[in-house]
Amino acid sequence: MKHEKTLRAAVGGSAAVAVLSAGLMSAAPAFGEDVVLRMAVPDWPPTRIMKDLFDKNYKAKSGNNVTLEPDFIPWPDYYTRLSGSLTSGEKRYSMAVSDSQWLGAFIEGGYYQKLNDAIDADPELQQIMQDLNPALVDAYSTYPHKSKNYYGFPQMPDVLVAYYRTDVFCDEGEAAAFKAKYDADLPCTPEEMNNADWDMVQKFGEFFGRKKGETLSGKALDDDFYGIAYQAGKGYDFSTMQIASMIWQHGGDIWDETKAPTGKAEGVVNSPEAVKGFEHYLSLLQYMPPVVKTGTMDIFKQDELFREGKVAYMINWIGFAESSIDANTSKVSDKVDFAMAAGLKKADGSIDRTYNIGGQPFVLMTWNDDTTNTEALEFVKWWLSPETQVAFAKAGGQSGLKSVYEDPSYNSFRPWNHAFGTSLNNQKDIWHIPEFFELLVQQQAEFDKAITGQQDAKATLDAIAKFQEELLQETGHIE
Amino acid sequence: MMKVWEVYPLRVAFLSIPAALLISAVAITLLPPSVSFWVSGAVFVFSAFLFVAYAWGRHAGGLLVAPAIALLFIMNIFPLLWSFGLSFFHYRANRLAPPRFAGLHYYEKVLTDPVVWDRLQVTAQLVVLTVSLQMIVGFLLAMLFAKQFPLRRVLLILVLTPMMLSFVAVGAFFRYYYEPTFGLLSQAVRVFTGEPFVLLQSTAGAIAGIVFADAWMWSPFVMLLVLAGLVSVPKYLYEAASIDRISHWRRFWNITFPYVRSLLMLALLFRTIEAFKLFDVVFLLTEGGPGTSTETIAVYVYRVSFQYFKTSESAALAYILLFTVIVLTNLYLYFANQRNRT
Repeated sequence: MKHEKTLRAAVGGSAAVAVLSAGLMSAAPAFGEDVVLRMAVPDWPPTRIMKDLFDKNYKAKSGNNVTLEPDFIPWPDYYTRLSGSLTSGEKRYSMAVSDSQWLGAFIEGGYYQKLNDAIDADPELQQIMQDLNPALVDAYSTYPHKSKNYYGFPQMPDVLVAYYRTDVFCDEGEAAAFKAKYDADLPCTPEEMNNADWDMVQKFGEFFGRKKGETLSGKALDDDFYGIAYQAGKGYDFSTMQIASMIWQHGGDIWDETKAPTGKAEGVVNSPEAVKGFEHYLSLLQYMPPVVKTGTMDIFKQDELFREGKVAYMINWIGFAESSIDANTSKVSDKVDFAMAAGLKKADGSIDRTYNIGGQPFVLMTWNDDTTNTEALEFVKWWLSPETQVAFAKAGGQSGLKSVYEDPSYNSFRPWNHAFGTSLNNQKDIWHIPEFFELLVQQQAEFDKAITGQQDAKATLDAIAKFQEELLQETGHIE
Repeated sequence: MMKVWEVYPLRVAFLSIPAALLISAVAITLLPPSVSFWVSGAVFVFSAFLFVAYAWGRHAGGLLVAPAIALLFIMNIFPLLWSFGLSFFHYRANRLAPPRFAGLHYYEKVLTDPVVWDRLQVTAQLVVLTVSLQMIVGFLLAMLFAKQFPLRRVLLILVLTPMMLSFVAVGAFFRYYYEPTFGLLSQAVRVFTGEPFVLLQSTAGAIAGIVFADAWMWSPFVMLLVLAGLVSVPKYLYEAASIDRISHWRRFWNITFPYVRSLLMLALLFRTIEAFKLFDVVFLLTEGGPGTSTETIAVYVYRVSFQYFKTSESAALAYILLFTVIVLTNLYLYFANQRNRT
């Protein structure tokens, strides 16, 4: 009998709980709908910071319960994983952080949503687009490139900047020796370093290349030391970004997609100016750590060599800067400063710093339902609001909003910020057409032959021009 | 009363196949895809059910294997056939455009593409070098471990470890091993020369680096197979040989080798097929560089398929490779059998 009573009580109790919870669940819609923004993102600080800020600060205006669920995917796998998900039709993501060059492939595939209607209908979004640096809008948003069709908003704008070692560049003994050798002042402050052109960088390379046992800043070296480093890797775009910049600075050009279908590849890609620019790029490789000879000095390798204290001056993305000043990840954390990346000195004394833009936009998917879409756009507006952008920049990110990065206080957030805003206006981008990867892979392989000393600059650019001319004709980008 | 399937069990079960095919064909042509998918599915499930009902009690073995076969078909054979079909169509997996018939266009394109022939030559070069090295090292290791000596078991485990590591771990490890600034190899060479050693800067160096890394990983596999042969040689043969004062060389050729020959051939077959598909180590160590001098056909298929998204072309190329491997394997088995008979 006692057992039966206990059983009855238990059954009754659980029934009551079930009724109560059912009541609560059915009452839930009164507080707003649950909306999940599932986003494919590369795994690195700018996206981790975004998730943190969202979880701490975000409240949807609609009253809906909006959660951000990013899939953090390692960079080297990112393109394959994202393209795998999109093309499989699983419709897993409502948003993604996409590299700008993938726009063409994924827009033509029908995955990325055109945002013109949303922008036209929303004054707040229009205001954001007005406030963004135009170079970012062109690179991150437009397809065809520089058209009026918009597809993305900046998540993290990135540029190439110079990282340098203050213990080396600001050492009096080194400065005196440099003066004696080149009759030039060794730059020390960021303002002085901003004036460094490629000739000066060549001198850094020559001057700071030291063998084990020689002295550097008054101390005997326990390992070889190298003057300079920039990207020269075969993977992904890990040489193109620097080489294209060098070619633009010398007055050459890449195949320009905005000039399609009359713009040619042959004669442009391998023009005398382009060859000169590429030769200039190759001439500086001799001053870099020996791994450059293998064609595997990508941005990660450069970053590692710099943090290990093997290099005096390096040009790399701002995205790596945070780890170079963190004592947990860097041996030189207290000896680093930043400046604008070097450029080519022109006849009038000015320095041309045309560079290839980095960073990534957000995109929205075509299959989103109305609620998800509305919430996604609300999220974008929150992200690109001045308060969030300032919080992001303070935590180590960058903002593309003029009102934010032009504010004098912006430069005080992080030591590299002064080099960011001033560099933004000089940014260009390579191609965004669907054949992007074919162009890139062939070009990277040819560049690699030149970097590893198998062929000269002219033969390399001739081979690239020929391939591009044929491919682009075949695909209708060149008449 | 007798039930229908008890009277005509076989016929009902077998008739259900053409019936199912007919119904799905009609459904696919007349109904929208979202409906016809479920109609066809239901019809096929029903016909499968009829088969199970028929075979219940009579072919229990077949029924027990059926789920595994079905899984194999769905996960393996069907995609294989599907991609084979795609190789005859214009299709790119990253576009929404439906496939258009292309006939043998992509086979012709692949077979006349100088890039493909170049990558095949690179692959052939690597296959010959890496498999030869693995066979020699593996054989010598097996000869060593066939003898008894102190710490043999411990050393054997250590020698077998590389084979159990993941490809990516081995690739990453060797990338650091060859790295000129931090790498062990360069540090060691620098003790003698004073200069950092940059192995991967030339084509020959890059090939040597890949061959060494691959052989490091897979020689233990060859050793394991050969060792199995060596320990199976009856001791009395050696005893008889030593009584007859046969030379070591003759002993090896007349006693040892015949016992390990078939296993050696098996190792050769496995390693050749695997080396033909060499991807991981190459991709991690050199990405096919310098230039494209170490880009194997497997790396090239990956690029065509997942970077250029030329799905049809990559499918055609993959089938040509599959065909090549099957032909080579059969040729090899044919010769191996011939030799065994003689």
